[in-house]
Amino acid sequence: MKRFIFAFIAAYVFIFVWGRLLNGVFLKDIYAETPNLWRSQSEMMSLFHWIIIGQALIVFSFVMIYASGFAGGGVIAGIRLGILLEIAAIGMCMGFYAVQPFPGKLIVYGSISGLIEMIIVGAIVGAIYKPTSARMP
Amino acid sequence: MNWKKFFTAFIGAFIFLFVFGFLWYGTLMSSAHQEVPALLRSKPNYPWLILGHIVMAFFFTMLCVRFVPAGGVFASATLGILVGLVYAGPHLISFAVEPLTTKILWGWIAGAVIQFAIAGGIVGGIYKPSPAHITFVKERPK
Repeated sequence: MKRFIFAFIAAYVFIFVWGRLLNGVFLKDIYAETPNLWRSQSEMMSLFHWIIIGQALIVFSFVMIYASGFAGGGVIAGIRLGILLEIAAIGMCMGFYAVQPFPGKLIVYGSISGLIEMIIVGAIVGAIYKPTSARMP
Repeated sequence: MNWKKFFTAFIGAFIFLFVFGFLWYGTLMSSAHQEVPALLRSKPNYPWLILGHIVMAFFFTMLCVRFVPAGGVFASATLGILVGLVYAGPHLISFAVEPLTTKILWGWIAGAVIQFAIAGGIVGGIYKPSPAHITFVKERPK
């Protein structure tokens, strides 16, 4: 449980910082091209707690999946889980692109950065979380 | 890996994900989506929609097979619920940055969890490891 919490906190801190840098700095100009698709800055700030909860849910579920099916495989197993989850998520992004008028480059940059993000999250979780000895083969 | 079963499971998952998506997001949530017309294309881009579902179904099936190598409806459905929750996180983030309604937010979250739980059950029900990978242990005489 202690390892689970450490893995969750470390991965959450990474995902939060990565999200701020990516969306707040690197992709800022692309978002500015389609202002009608986004809330105003003040509205976003008033709903910021949903971003925190959303990121926490992603990390919590990721660590849960790792702990219940991939634990023991270390960093490589974590990275593998991150890749599988993110490529399936890229499929979902394609679905959103099909129905929402997002710029194509936002989907491309978002998918590439999402893949890098989940690889790093997988590595962090794989490095920190270790199953209890009773569950080891 | 039992590739024949894998592809059968993948096709089953793809058909289910696509049909469920059409019914849940395209029909049941249609009126909710019409409240935010600026956020939607006038007509879906079907090639991207189909390709997206193929990618999603293929890698979700791969994940189920890695997670539950022996197959099994319950274990794969449990994984599906967790995967649905992983994808519910971005919906919450989208709600904070896009002018979506709460009805759409909760509809998307419930849709993701139900969709992947059932898709997981389908994959777990279809996929079985190849006989070469099953180890039989002879029972000791009592």
